Amino acid sequence: MKGNWFFPNLWRFLSLLAAQGLVLSGISYNTDGYVSLLVYPLFTLLLPILMPIPLLILAGFFMGLFVDFFTGTLGLHASAGAFSAYARVIILERFAPQGGYTGKEPIASPAYFGWRWFLSVSGIFFAVHLLWYFSMAYFTPVYFLSKILPQATLSWLSTMPVVVVLMRLFYPKN
Amino acid sequence: MYSILQLFARHGGLITLLITQVVSFYLMTSQNGPQQQITRSSWSWYSNWVLEWRNRWMDYLSLRDENIRLKMENARLHMQLINLHASEVPVRDTVRRQEAFDSLGKKLVRPEYVVISARVVGNSFSGRNNWLILNRGAKDGIHPNSGIISRAGVVGIVREVSEHFSLAMSVLHPQTRISAMVKGYPFYGSLYWDGNDPRYLTLSDIPYHLPIRRGDTVQVSNYSLLFPEGHVAGIVDTAYRPQGSSFLHIRVRPTQPPASVREVYVVTNRYAEELENLTRATQEKQ
Repeated sequence: MKGNWFFPNLWRFLSLLAAQGLVLSGISYNTDGYVSLLVYPLFTLLLPILMPIPLLILAGFFMGLFVDFFTGTLGLHASAGAFSAYARVIILERFAPQGGYTGKEPIASPAYFGWRWFLSVSGIFFAVHLLWYFSMAYFTPVYFLSKILPQATLSWLSTMPVVVVLMRLFYPKN
Repeated sequence: MYSILQLFARHGGLITLLITQVVSFYLMTSQNGPQQQITRSSWSWYSNWVLEWRNRWMDYLSLRDENIRLKMENARLHMQLINLHASEVPVRDTVRRQEAFDSLGKKLVRPEYVVISARVVGNSFSGRNNWLILNRGAKDGIHPNSGIISRAGVVGIVREVSEHFSLAMSVLHPQTRISAMVKGYPFYGSLYWDGNDPRYLTLSDIPYHLPIRRGDTVQVSNYSLLFPEGHVAGIVDTAYRPQGSSFLHIRVRPTQPPASVREVYVVTNRYAEELENLTRATQEKQ
């Protein structure tokens, strides 16, 4: 982790929290919770690649917890945030370039790895996050096929274009 | 402390994940209605399941005790049944059957039997004089000269009693003689083993004019001192009149095969000794 990594991540944290808590969660309410636009995990995904894992998980947890304060679902987003942060470690390991991550590419951005790589990584990352989120929301495996899986799929289909637009707009490098 | 740090360095991610998940679960189940409800119902379901499993396991573990309790209960019921049978006196009035009392106002329950459950722990059946050993003795209230029955038939007679065990003559012992009769006929004879085929007993002293058939039931007669009246003893196999005899020779298949006897009841007639003394005194006077 070289250079000035703290402030870009702080801005991302605040702006994604505001966007999620004030705007995007409202869309979820309008569809009776059936489609949820959850872009705040982008903060976790764009944290420095070489960040220590416990810190990464704590960051994901607190990001989710702050979103929970907005949505009144204490613990729900926090759980999903921490889980997807842990999943990010495994996903990035799978998609590591030859020789591993050296630190030349500070974050998992298309600016360093290209769009195809980013779409694969973020696609899996958001799928894991949404599946865990809806599993926790229903809190029972009984609804897995009837509610959890369909809602996670619909939410993924609506979240991913927003993620791509945001990445195209800001094209973060650190 | 060092090892804890080492563990955290190695598995810090997983440990942090577990901690954050536990905190999240706590927040979810304490602050959110739906999760709280699901947790509560799941918790009660699981606790019921565990409780049921525990009960089943405890039931299984207590089977041995339950078995002993059942055997004692069985012995008690047998005793009641036998004594009920003993107190049945054929006195009827025109309205209903009365329980019989004698002129002293005492209920007629003589002979009175005490029934104690026991297990056969030693059994010989291939020799000439065959014996049984029971796991009950004087400490359990067993007296010599008590009859031994099983649910299926007669088994033997207690001869010697130690503190914890009893030695009994099997029905396959030439000295074992049981007062028996063929069900439905008011004649009694002696049921014994002739020492030949251990599959069959012999019933003697039954008058030849009785139409005894194969399959008729042989039961303990009302004159038996040691065994309760009416208890099944065997099934008639063959019956014929030997030349020049006034009595039938009846071959009886015992309903309780002597070789496979295991759970038994020791039946003690409380008045057996008194009756024997009475008989002996009369015989001595003659």
